[in-house]
Amino acid sequence: MKRILVANRGEIAVRVIRACRDMGIEAVAVYSDCDRGARHVRLADLAVHIGGNAPGESYLRIDRMVDAARRSGADGIHPGYGFLAENEDFADACTGAGLTFIGPSADAIALMGSKTAARQAAMEAGVPVVPGTEEPLGADVPDATIAGIADRLGYPIMIKAVAGGGGKGMRLVTLAAELPGGIRAARSEAHAAFGDPAIYLERRINRPRHIEIQLLGDHHGTVRPFVERECSIQRRHQKVIEETPSPVVDRDLRMRIASDAAAIARSVGYTNAGTIEFLLDDTGHYYFLEMNTRLQVEHPITEMVTGVDLVQWQIRIARGERLTIDAGTAINPRGHAIECRIYAEDADAGFLPSPGHIDALRVPSGPGIRDDSGAESGGDVPIFYDPLISKLVAWGTDRSQAMARMRRALREYDVVGIKTSIPFFRWMLEQPDFVEARFHTAYLDEVLRTRAGEPFTSADDGRIDVALIAAAIRTVRVLSDSANEPPASRWKARARDEALRG
Amino acid sequence: MKLHVTAAGRTRALDITPTGDGFLVSLDGRQHEVNVKVIDGVWSMLVGTPPRSYEVAFSQAAEGALTVHVDGVPVEVSINRMRRAGAAVASDAADGGPQRVAAPMPGKIVKLLVKPGDKVQARQGVVVVEAMKMENELRARAAGTVSEVRVTEGASVEAGAILVILE
Repeated sequence: MKRILVANRGEIAVRVIRACRDMGIEAVAVYSDCDRGARHVRLADLAVHIGGNAPGESYLRIDRMVDAARRSGADGIHPGYGFLAENEDFADACTGAGLTFIGPSADAIALMGSKTAARQAAMEAGVPVVPGTEEPLGADVPDATIAGIADRLGYPIMIKAVAGGGGKGMRLVTLAAELPGGIRAARSEAHAAFGDPAIYLERRINRPRHIEIQLLGDHHGTVRPFVERECSIQRRHQKVIEETPSPVVDRDLRMRIASDAAAIARSVGYTNAGTIEFLLDDTGHYYFLEMNTRLQVEHPITEMVTGVDLVQWQIRIARGERLTIDAGTAINPRGHAIECRIYAEDADAGFLPSPGHIDALRVPSGPGIRDDSGAESGGDVPIFYDPLISKLVAWGTDRSQAMARMRRALREYDVVGIKTSIPFFRWMLEQPDFVEARFHTAYLDEVLRTRAGEPFTSADDGRIDVALIAAAIRTVRVLSDSANEPPASRWKARARDEALRG
Repeated sequence: MKLHVTAAGRTRALDITPTGDGFLVSLDGRQHEVNVKVIDGVWSMLVGTPPRSYEVAFSQAAEGALTVHVDGVPVEVSINRMRRAGAAVASDAADGGPQRVAAPMPGKIVKLLVKPGDKVQARQGVVVVEAMKMENELRARAAGTVSEVRVTEGASVEAGAILVILE
């Protein structure tokens, strides 16, 4: 491969472009109308306009992606995550057009993309699954039948979309009386999000932790499982903080989960990068949850503790190379890594999206810090897409040092113009429950409910004084400007301009 | 120049005098030497003796008040210039007057949680707007009574559209 089209935007497009650069491969960006000035476009070697702002007019258009590859002379396509990454028709269309799709086969995407088929595959590989329904419950299955199944499984029950992902089409039902409402809500969300109202039921595991295994598989039969990631800090089923290794997984458990994950991948002939997710209950039992047939958002933390560049390996595997990563390198972590997903969201207003113009940006750096970002000063966070602007990763020789570096980096991180979830992370990293790793997948939602909107940041008296002084100086500048005083110095003129603009 | 400044519910007297390379600010009678350098829209402020370093940025809060971000921590500030004949007031106080809940971005009204006459607490949700594929609850900034609901469920709204007014 000489030239790869990156069929995505934002931070992940930037990440893939960087991997291409590292390998001496040219990268082609694609962009919608509003992304013309985006960072991934500016960093790429070539860039092709693919349509309007709505994802359905651009980043979700298979025909336009393939056409952009043809027009730009690309010979490979990397899908990133989200958008078309887990769409088997896209993988098929790329292969059909003579392009190398950098990901698993269309068959593997289709098989593992169906939650019920994936459960079946896990069971056949001898891996425990959460007790639940084996077949999809289509729109024609009456509620009474589903109620019968639910009674047999026992409450509480999770209703999930067969085509699901990202927490959409997912409902927790604790009582039989809530079941019809839960079914209706899950079906309607699943239909809206995936065009498929089919659901399935799973018994709800009490206070589980989310543990997942990153895998790479080549085209010569080698599958390498990596050290686990823990992603239990979630808000509304969306991961917010990830870390590796898990503070509660010992070497014995790690080897067992990793070997089960590899068994599932081998049984379906899986190639390229993928992740198998498990729930770990409070008695040390784990259950297969689902497989993600793509590069994960949180892949950098695995890279930090293993030294393996997962995106480069995706490209090498796609061009037929053999996996030469040592099994020990993949499974034995060196140090500890934590990732915070920095979103353009106002954490103090119920995590309301806060798109807009970034007036100024100070990105943290220094020992142990990596910031994978799609944003830059002067850029815009459009309203049309996922509001993730960056993934802040901290590495340390142990968890305590990684946390200390993350706190330092969060303090350095400054985004002016839009609100971000940084204040929430500053708060979270100070919580004793987080420091002592006492959490589970519902932990954060419970804590946020208890806090009932109490702000994450409150200024101390010293900072309130500084705010008052700053506001007063700004007022003086605005007034003296309106009185047309000649500027006393260039500095003052500039300060006044800035004040008026701010 | 003498000002009245309000933050965190307290109004205080502030006197500000330009000096050679900065300002001398008296806040409640306490003196602070202040040096400001503006870099790319962000103020680097050195305050007091020995000088402590702060990063400060501004954004316009609702109702004409100013939000000052000190090291990323937002502080809502309102300023009243002590009135002289003919002098303009720099900015109105945020307290008092109706509270307008506006759409922060274009979206669709999914659910109205209040109706005219309802009493709401501070931070209580008043309307649910769908945008960026997520449902978002907009909340009251302070306690009040709903005087007007300007939208209906299912309506599409532009950024900045006033949705609910509280007295």
